[in-house]
Amino acid sequence: MSFIDIKNLTFFYEGSDLPVLNDVNLSFEKGSYTAVLGHNGSGKSTLAKLICGILQPSAGKITVAGLPTDDEESLWKLREKCGMIFQNPDNQLVAGVVEEDVAFAPENLGYKREVIRKRVDEALATVSMTEYAHHATSKLSGGQKQRIAIAGVLAMGPDCIIFDEATAMLDPTGRREIIAAMKKLNREKNITVITITHYMAEAIEADRVVVLDHGRILMDGTPREIFSEVEALKSVSLSVPQVTDLLHLLTKDGHPFPQGVLHTMEAAEELEKVLPKNTFVATAKEQKLREEKPAALEVKNVSVVYGEGTPFRKEALKDISVAFPKGEVIGIIGHTGSGKSTLATLLNGLRNPTSGEILLDGKNIRENPKEMRKIRSRVGLVFQYPEYQLFEETVRKDIAYGPGNMNLSEDEITRRVEDAARFCGLSEGDLRRSPFELSGGQKRRAAIAGVIAMEPEVLVLDEPAAGLDPKGREEIFDGLMAYKDRLGATLLLISHSMEEVAKYADRILVLNRGQVYLYGTVEEVFGQAEKLFDASLDLPQITKLFIELKKRSLCAETDVYTIGYAKKQLERMLEC
Amino acid sequence: MLKDVTLGQFFPGNSFLHKADPRIKLVVLVVYMVFVLLAQNALSLALVLGVTLALAFISRIRFSVVMRSLKPVIFILMFTGLINLFFTTGETPLVEWWIFKIYPEGILTAIFMMIRLVCLVAGSSLLLSYTTSPLALTDAIESLFGPLRKIGVPVHEFAMMMTIALRFIPTLIEETDKIISAQKARGADFEDGGLLKKAKALIPVLIPLFVSAFRRADELAEAMECRCYRGGEGRTKLKVMKSRGVDYLFLLLMIGLCVAVPFINHYLSFTLGVFAL
Repeated sequence: MSFIDIKNLTFFYEGSDLPVLNDVNLSFEKGSYTAVLGHNGSGKSTLAKLICGILQPSAGKITVAGLPTDDEESLWKLREKCGMIFQNPDNQLVAGVVEEDVAFAPENLGYKREVIRKRVDEALATVSMTEYAHHATSKLSGGQKQRIAIAGVLAMGPDCIIFDEATAMLDPTGRREIIAAMKKLNREKNITVITITHYMAEAIEADRVVVLDHGRILMDGTPREIFSEVEALKSVSLSVPQVTDLLHLLTKDGHPFPQGVLHTMEAAEELEKVLPKNTFVATAKEQKLREEKPAALEVKNVSVVYGEGTPFRKEALKDISVAFPKGEVIGIIGHTGSGKSTLATLLNGLRNPTSGEILLDGKNIRENPKEMRKIRSRVGLVFQYPEYQLFEETVRKDIAYGPGNMNLSEDEITRRVEDAARFCGLSEGDLRRSPFELSGGQKRRAAIAGVIAMEPEVLVLDEPAAGLDPKGREEIFDGLMAYKDRLGATLLLISHSMEEVAKYADRILVLNRGQVYLYGTVEEVFGQAEKLFDASLDLPQITKLFIELKKRSLCAETDVYTIGYAKKQLERMLEC
Repeated sequence: MLKDVTLGQFFPGNSFLHKADPRIKLVVLVVYMVFVLLAQNALSLALVLGVTLALAFISRIRFSVVMRSLKPVIFILMFTGLINLFFTTGETPLVEWWIFKIYPEGILTAIFMMIRLVCLVAGSSLLLSYTTSPLALTDAIESLFGPLRKIGVPVHEFAMMMTIALRFIPTLIEETDKIISAQKARGADFEDGGLLKKAKALIPVLIPLFVSAFRRADELAEAMECRCYRGGEGRTKLKVMKSRGVDYLFLLLMIGLCVAVPFINHYLSFTLGVFAL
């Protein structure tokens, strides 16, 4: 018998006749490392909750280490063996101080004080958080909070840990921390790891990948086997790593390559076998003609200082000056704490700069404080996780809240609400529903529509697609681009994803430690790979592949940022 | 803006008061309150003042901080002072104006009353809120009221609720800040208009805040269950409260002072009487 055994599992939520999980048979061996992939709503989180006995199956049976989940008595024993890490780091920490939180589980299990002490210390050491033992949990970063949550589960002495989208709300640094922790737990402590995710980077680290779709198991195999099936994955709105996709597309067009290549180096080696050396053709570059556009929004010598005169004084922005040209998409990148979010709240006057000024169409936005609300409707700001701002009875009323604050006529408000809903892909039926009934992705789109309905000329978005699956991300961006094109608006896009910025932005602003680190066109910024790495930032995987190819003198240029362009370049090279 | 609010006024430190067993501190606080309220005359009140100053000294908390604890009660302090000043009657009025008569006894009572109040507030801040971490306080309450469990009072549940509330205060403050900013970005106006309009403007903040608080509560409950939480039964603690000999000595000293006060009251009134003769 396997460590976790799932037999003919079917699950319905109360009052719904659509099964979330439909006759699933699955088993996990002890000490294995599995990624469960699936789009939002595929039933993957429900599966995790069923394994831990938080939910009970409608039909079928689950046993963990031989213990059934439907037996009240053995359930506690089971939970001790099989811990779970949840998505939101804030909602799973119980105590205000790190070590007391880690001690929570062993305290519940009634261990002696010395045993608890030992387990807490060991668990904190395993996740490298020993020095934070006496810190307040509220002061930690997202990645650190998740590591404390892992320590809290480790202190129970489990054989298995299930990560339920545990990296979805983290920044890239935090995500790397947690992936490293998973690997360590599996390899060094021989703990069975099941990670539920839609991040490919997380899935390729696992030994086995299970793909769920509409409550059924669609695929089950090694990462290489699974990622060879590019078409099948795309059909269930999942994505594959860029190099995998590239080699797949080339194969499809008559240049056979092995499938399921996951890493940059591996792809470079495969290409090296077929590409002629040192015979690259100088290609006529598609020079995008760029006329000088007037600035929609200009930031002039702006500094922001927090906690002036206290020991906590911090310079969030140091004398930055940037102009954002009208009608362009500007990607803003930089790691957490670089000043991106501070900059966003400055642009619509939610926060005052300590010095300097912000010019909208050449006019200082603080010129007339009474006009501030007007400014806010002209510079729209969508915060991270905007779905938490929904409050009205219906989606329609919620979207109308912004325009309703602008002294517009009823007809104009209705028109704007309907336009905004269309851009964001919400149907007439969705508008009549309560925002709290919508799915996660729909909620996000309703919240964005609420800002778009004000028809701002500059739209600032802080990670608008964070935590969504690949298809959900694409839908959001398509809507935003349509809005931009129709109204000639300027889009400022704060993002952690280099692939996303490469795909949608015209220009990139890189912030580092509160200063403008780089600012220019996509080519200009991504052309300075070394400088980006210095600021612990990354490049799109496809660009890294071309840098590697250049190192092996297989090609001359490295300004390749999208898969489509990469494919064109490689085809040209392969055909000569 | 909301981030500036400091909640829980604990000042971490390493003084005797910080290290003392919180359970004993709670008991000491009760005795101290009786001590302050028993003090009737100049000498016993001087003693009360002296003890409070001594507490401030051993806590090593800055005097200005101790004074700050009085800010919220300033109105009550003034009110009590004035009431006593005008409504205490004696033999010969010192000042007479319209219907007001101020007697020397009134002045004395007003001063006594105010000293008592100041000592009561400053002393309890020093003994408890300034020198005891909220978590230690919760543990102490759970332990002291533990016997009430026998008559069906859910002591552990209350303590757990307090712990979780304390843990979530910073999270919810941050969230409130975020929601206010988000609604402001959608043109919400929290400053203008009358009371009704202002109250109405809060709806877009309160609803998302409640929805999120309930969602958090749900998720936390699941996370706690996954970590084998099933009530206080059979639960042990990482941190066991230990009382040292000096803690008991501290308690004995306070009880001693408390018992001494009635004697001082009596003795001093006697000598004053002799003096008056």
